[in-house]
Amino acid sequence: MDYQSMLALALPIGVALAAIGSGYGLGHAVGSAMEAIGRQPEAAGKIQTAMIIGAALIEALTIYALVVFFILQGKIGG
Amino acid sequence: MQTSSAGIDFLSRSLRTTGIVLLFFLPFGIYYLGFYPSLAVFSGGVWGIVNLIFLSALVRSVIRVGGIEKTALIRAALIKFPLLYLSGYALLRVDVFNPIYLLIGFSGSLAVIGLKAAGRAILGLDEQSNDNRKAVEAGRC
Repeated sequence: MDYQSMLALALPIGVALAAIGSGYGLGHAVGSAMEAIGRQPEAAGKIQTAMIIGAALIEALTIYALVVFFILQGKIGG
Repeated sequence: MQTSSAGIDFLSRSLRTTGIVLLFFLPFGIYYLGFYPSLAVFSGGVWGIVNLIFLSALVRSVIRVGGIEKTALIRAALIKFPLLYLSGYALLRVDVFNPIYLLIGFSGSLAVIGLKAAGRAILGLDEQSNDNRKAVEAGRC
């Protein structure tokens, strides 16, 4: 298997792994935030902020993977 | 000492700071980097800010004490996922924009949030605001 074929196989797998990982992480974060708000409703504002920042970081990682995909896509020959 | 809270207004202040940083960056970027790279950084930054605004609206409509706010959730989800991701895809496909510069702009808001949070932690502002709140509550009782 040559370099181009390996890249063509690895790129979608890499993006899929990033999406699966961030989806799992986001689900876990939302679950924990719900639990925390249930235990301490008066801290909802702070939990929401932490949740938003966490979600933004997780989403950014997926977008980084997508951008790497776009950058390396040009190296796959036709 | 009166300190601002680390609640939901922390995010809006961070986004405003990011906008100011991007506006300051634009003329210097055009001079030192060139027009299209700095425009790519600026567009990536605006994309990141708008993305974060809709993300916060989405999280606020789902994770709240009174249950899910359905209309706000549907509105935020309908705008954020199709429209924002489509515009991100379009930005990435534009030939004159280098994806690396877009990524730098996109990470700008996250960098500002990280730096602001680090500043709060170093200066101990959260402990001060907690102490202030406790003092106010003790004064009421």
